[in-house]
Amino acid sequence: MKKSYLIKRIIYAFFIFLIVMTLNFFIPRIGVVDPAERYYPPQGNMTEIEYEIIKQFTREQYGFDVSNFQQYLNYVSGLFQGDLGTSFRSGNPKVSQLIGERLPWTLVLSVTNLLISLFIGLIIGTIAAWKRGRWQDTTLLNLSTISMALPAFFIALILSFYFGFELEWFPAYTNPNMVAQFDWSWEAIRVVMYNAALPIVSMSIGGIIGYGQGTRNAVIAVTNEDFILTARAKGLSRNQVIFKHTLRNAMLPIVTSLGMSISGLIGGAVIIEQIFNWNGMGTLFLEANNTNDYPLMMGIMLFMSAFAIVANLVTELFYSLLDPRVTVGERR
Amino acid sequence: MKAKAMRFLKLLGNRLLGILRAIAGFIMKLWRHPKGRVGLIVVTLLVVCAIFAPLIAPYDPYDVTQRAAKGLSPSWSHLLGTTITTGQDIFSMLIYGTRVSLIVGLVTGISIAFLGAIMGVIAGYVGGAADTAIMRTVDVMLVIPTLPLTIVLTNLFGKSYLMIIFIFVLFGWTGLARVIRSLVLVLKNANYVRAAELAGASRGHIMFRHILPGVSHLLIMNTALTCAGVMIAEAGLSFLGLGDPTAISWGKMLAEAQGGGALLFGHWWWIIAPGIGIFLAVFSFMRIGLVMEEILNPRMKQSSSIYKIFKNLNNTYMEEVFASMDENAKLGLTLKAGEES
Amino acid sequence: MSDLMLKLRNLKVVFPAGEGVIRAVEGIDLDIAKGECVALVGESGCGKSVTSLAIMKLLNSPPALVRVDELKLDDEELKDYSDGKMQELRGQQLSMIFQDAMTALNPVMTIGRQIDEIYIRHNNLSRKEARKLTVKALDLVGVPEAKSRANSFPHQLSGGMRQRVLIAMAFACMPKLIIADEPTTALDVTIQAQVLNVLSDMQKKHNVSLLLITHDLSVVANMADTIYVMYAGKIVEKAIKRDLFLKPRHPYTEGLLGSVPRLSDEHHHFIQIPDAVPHPMFKPTGCYFHPRCSYCTDKCKESMPPLAKDVGGREYRCWHPLNLGGGAKDGK
Repeated sequence: MKKSYLIKRIIYAFFIFLIVMTLNFFIPRIGVVDPAERYYPPQGNMTEIEYEIIKQFTREQYGFDVSNFQQYLNYVSGLFQGDLGTSFRSGNPKVSQLIGERLPWTLVLSVTNLLISLFIGLIIGTIAAWKRGRWQDTTLLNLSTISMALPAFFIALILSFYFGFELEWFPAYTNPNMVAQFDWSWEAIRVVMYNAALPIVSMSIGGIIGYGQGTRNAVIAVTNEDFILTARAKGLSRNQVIFKHTLRNAMLPIVTSLGMSISGLIGGAVIIEQIFNWNGMGTLFLEANNTNDYPLMMGIMLFMSAFAIVANLVTELFYSLLDPRVTVGERR
Repeated sequence: MKAKAMRFLKLLGNRLLGILRAIAGFIMKLWRHPKGRVGLIVVTLLVVCAIFAPLIAPYDPYDVTQRAAKGLSPSWSHLLGTTITTGQDIFSMLIYGTRVSLIVGLVTGISIAFLGAIMGVIAGYVGGAADTAIMRTVDVMLVIPTLPLTIVLTNLFGKSYLMIIFIFVLFGWTGLARVIRSLVLVLKNANYVRAAELAGASRGHIMFRHILPGVSHLLIMNTALTCAGVMIAEAGLSFLGLGDPTAISWGKMLAEAQGGGALLFGHWWWIIAPGIGIFLAVFSFMRIGLVMEEILNPRMKQSSSIYKIFKNLNNTYMEEVFASMDENAKLGLTLKAGEES
Repeated sequence: MSDLMLKLRNLKVVFPAGEGVIRAVEGIDLDIAKGECVALVGESGCGKSVTSLAIMKLLNSPPALVRVDELKLDDEELKDYSDGKMQELRGQQLSMIFQDAMTALNPVMTIGRQIDEIYIRHNNLSRKEARKLTVKALDLVGVPEAKSRANSFPHQLSGGMRQRVLIAMAFACMPKLIIADEPTTALDVTIQAQVLNVLSDMQKKHNVSLLLITHDLSVVANMADTIYVMYAGKIVEKAIKRDLFLKPRHPYTEGLLGSVPRLSDEHHHFIQIPDAVPHPMFKPTGCYFHPRCSYCTDKCKESMPPLAKDVGGREYRCWHPLNLGGGAKDGK
């Protein structure tokens, strides 16, 4: 990989971040003169004077008492010192602190889901491509059309109904003490796995089939390439053709979709978390929405965007390592 | 002046007729394909349900006053029972729920097709600063998490399906524009486009008369698949309560079922019914999209059906074919065997 | 022990399709002597490439159905060999040069490794030893600075260099027979000449039999000893180069010759053959060439002419052969 390429991509990613950051600053200010009104909407039981006092307090506390430009500068300089803002919650915790508390719990779900989907998907996809046109392949194709039409949250409801309420094998709602009592003991880890089983399974059914079908298509596309014929004409054995020539090239489109999955790791489980009462980023965001906690919402969004930017950058660099044809700014 | 107006009207009429004819042709092609026919029939059924919902639904789905009829199990008078919380008829709700799903899906799908096509063609054909601007926008859109932004915007501007459609379109065009752009970059160097350029055709003329038809197959296919995707996303947003609070939608029905104790009391039909609604709608649109892909991209079809052909190979016929190729075979047979197939 | 390197008898290849049967190759015979260069000439769509893949036994079934009476490589009958047995022969005794080197080389592997593979597979060498041979092989085909070039990827080389790499691959183990399928079609004319020279030199120096498949008679003129002309899946004429160029028997050959530009003849007019090769699923009655033939009679429309044998191993398939005067005996 050329150094100039690396630097160019990093600069571009940073440029995208600046735009997203600016959007993030302006979105809650759309259509209002005084951001304090948005951050603290009037409530029925308040008199005009009381509300005015509260607004004044809000302005001072959140730095709305200076010009918009000054606010933006403060916001940016705060960001680069790692300050994502301050929540409205009682005690006014820092947004970054709240994210830090919840993020690991979301990652437990989404990373496990991704690993399961990828691992099993790659295996069944390769099998389907190998047994092309046979029952293994057609089964996967039919399953994929069905699973694409079933929302993950519907699967989650069904699983929660059957395994949670009817059979009572797994908890339909996460144990609320799970987070507080977590102490890295084996027992605590077992509790987490027990509680995470249903959410993870409901997320990964679609993931497994999606990655399976994607792998199958990628492998078959490569099988039709001329260089596979060359490899066979050289007298390579079937296994050598598959492992040295086919899979390496079939990895390329899979890496692209893997990158997309990774950039959605944090925000991809909102509904599932809500269904199972899982204490993650998704429920944190919904809580913020219910309390109109704008600093928290915007902080989480910016964090998610930044994560996605970094994920895209890493994917792109990884891709360029795998595919020597990729030069500056060009991606197949 | 009048003549000009007449000519314009005539042109417009012809264009519209052409579009209608193209759509009719597509529907015929879909109908001839067995999988496409299934999709077409289900979509027609859903459209009928949406339009004639008040005639089909046996009860008023908005009626929350039936205290006596709360939590009924499925029976002949209530096909899918009633809700536990308010006693609404679930079957009637299911029928009415078609409306939201179809409207949001179709309006978004078609708008995305328009916006994506325009952006993609401009980025690809005009290039330069326009291309840079559009592709940078796409890159920014890709990293903003859609669901959280939707939540923020509904919080700002109130919950409505118009808002949801707006956000879907705002974020949905990016993927399509990318695909169209790369196709246009290829078409741009096609000889017929070059010829039109040399003949002095204007950029607009080339874009809409020469390039757009080249990508239209992709657009139609994409619209069907987008509709399917949007309907799933809409169900998710409605499930989170971000849709119009007064409307009945399948996603909201699921949320009500979960909140209303369907899981706890074992009323599985209350969950299954809206789920099947979502599944049928998404599945049928997806089927149509995939079948279109197969029709428009016959190479794919060939590779998958070749195995079926091999399974059902008529061995005696193949022997005849081979025999007909022999040097001393009767010379007339070549012709006959070829014709019989 | 005959002096034939390849003896092919009655090769037939069909592809069953949804609406009928594609008759790609309809019973052709092919003989290649040791050290001889035989050309198989015809327009695209005549079944030339299918023939070459059938000799390599690289046609997949499905979709292809292959029948052959004899397929002997140096008196070794390959007809019933399993794929595993063929894998040992391919690359070692029998190898192939493909048309488009850009797609025929694996894009994510260095060219060195792609050639190493052959030595590792067939000569049981370590990677290091294989690389020594690879560099030597690249040197032989005129790749400058072979040692460092071996570490470059296909896209980093020019078209001519890539084609040389393919030639180096084919000659790696000094096989008995090499099949070159349109080896220069994808190249510029000047590069074509260089690559053909390399191919011709290598063939003569190492006394390898070569089957040259091309649609370009000017390529044939420099290299081939014997020429087979193929049309719509059948051999329509076979002759040694001199005979064929001076006195073509079949109107199709005459047409092909008429399409070749000649510097010597100032008043040369191109003779063009109207229309195109018939679709292999819908071949005409009688002689396949009759719709495009200017000598066509009713007889041609009704029945396929048999393969007539002439002096000097000449063969042709025509009811009204040309240039029969001047001492040549009528074959019938």
